[in-house]
Amino acid sequence: MVGPRDDDSVEWSATRIEDVLPPIVAVVVLVGGWALFTAFASVPSFLLPSPIAVAGRLAGNPELYATNALATLERVVYGGAIGIVGGFALAVAVTFVRPLRYAVLPYIVTVRVLPKIAIAPALLIYFGTGRTTSLIFVAAIAFFPTALSTIAGLERVDRRYADLLRSVDANPIRTFYAVELRFALPDIVSGLKQSVTLAVVGAVVAEWVVVDDGLGALVLVASENLLTDVMLAALVILLVEGLALYGLVVLLERRLLWYASAESD
Amino acid sequence: MIDVENVTVTFDDVTAVRDVDLRVDTGEFVTVIGPSGCGKTTLLRTIGGLQDPTNGRVLIAGRDPVASQSDANLGFVFQQHTLFPWKTALQNVTFLRKMAGKSPRPGRARELLEAVGLEGSEHLYPSELSGGMKQRVAIVRALHLDADVLLMDEPFGELDEITRDRLSVELREIWRQERKTILFVTHSVPEAVLLADRCLLFDGPPGRLVASFDIDLPRPRDERVFESPAFQRQVAAVRSALYGTRTEPASRTD
Repeated sequence: MVGPRDDDSVEWSATRIEDVLPPIVAVVVLVGGWALFTAFASVPSFLLPSPIAVAGRLAGNPELYATNALATLERVVYGGAIGIVGGFALAVAVTFVRPLRYAVLPYIVTVRVLPKIAIAPALLIYFGTGRTTSLIFVAAIAFFPTALSTIAGLERVDRRYADLLRSVDANPIRTFYAVELRFALPDIVSGLKQSVTLAVVGAVVAEWVVVDDGLGALVLVASENLLTDVMLAALVILLVEGLALYGLVVLLERRLLWYASAESD
Repeated sequence: MIDVENVTVTFDDVTAVRDVDLRVDTGEFVTVIGPSGCGKTTLLRTIGGLQDPTNGRVLIAGRDPVASQSDANLGFVFQQHTLFPWKTALQNVTFLRKMAGKSPRPGRARELLEAVGLEGSEHLYPSELSGGMKQRVAIVRALHLDADVLLMDEPFGELDEITRDRLSVELREIWRQERKTILFVTHSVPEAVLLADRCLLFDGPPGRLVASFDIDLPRPRDERVFESPAFQRQVAAVRSALYGTRTEPASRTD
């Protein structure tokens, strides 16, 4: 059903200069090579503009990128928040109400297999174009990872700790908060990471199908008009935005799960 | 204090505990010794109200164990320390009392931690404590409930022998000073003898009581007990009953 507690992220934290240097050199070489290639090879700029042209687009019309970045950000944050909160609430509900669990869990697991991107045209028919539809779409995509990871995390709680609290007749709601939820936290955070990443994907797809602003729409329009430098500039901003959102979750993880790396047994 | 009357515990079609009768008097230290998987843990969980008996009943101070849970009159110590990794030693100790609905007494918690040699370690996290220190915190946590009864399920089972001997002597001392009623499950014969006023021999599955030994050793006990002929004799007696043979060498390794 749900895999073991881990996500695919590779932990990489550099502290020493010899660890920081190679990736910087790599990106300089890559961008430099790209610049040289476009300068000396006769590639038409609509196929591969130089990095300078891309930077020029960014500097020349910052409002265009800022406005669209903000539109995408709003979509990701609102839609993502709805999906994440909904997924979390459902997970808690099915943990407490066993019949509900048996009623809905098989279908959640089934629907999870469906590529959510495929429902975008369906949403277009039922809800039309516009902001609401885009939020529904982002929420639907962000919902599943958080819901499933939280359900799995709450399942994994160490029974011995539950026994300990039962032996003093502790209040079940306080026990849930102090034990179940705390032990599920690594899974919840791992689901959160996937939800945030997918919310960005959802926003971009929504911007292709149901709304006409945002970085996704900009990428699409630019590519249709062969404005490859604009398209690349929009992609760079999208990358930065995605990284920033993911980074926020990593910061949250470090704050909440500081003990996870220290605990040896 | 603890009355176990004709208790049988059955899981599906497996009988874990069969027809056990036992009594632990107020202030008594009783150990239960038996091989792994003989149903000792199930018996302890049943006494503590974590498992319902299929037959028979358990009374603690004349009442159902669940009533003792509500009054936080039961202190459990498990084989695994079950400390919360995100709480310090002191927080772990006070947290359980808080969850038991008793008024906080942080001063008393510190006192108890000091009594087991953890002064200066109150603010360390479990990952910073050794195995023996973690079990000390777990014991202090149970003591801090002010429960009359302590139920201990192989609490030293995962410790090295040196730490285990030291903690056994300490626990005996804690028991003497705090006047607790203790039921202590173990699979180590020397531990069962050193700690006990009375040692119950358990066999299974299905788990049942097969013998009882009154342990006649000097009190209070310290490390010197290990070397005494009386101790060696008691260990040999329990061991031979355990293995059903006459002459088992009274070595301290098992």
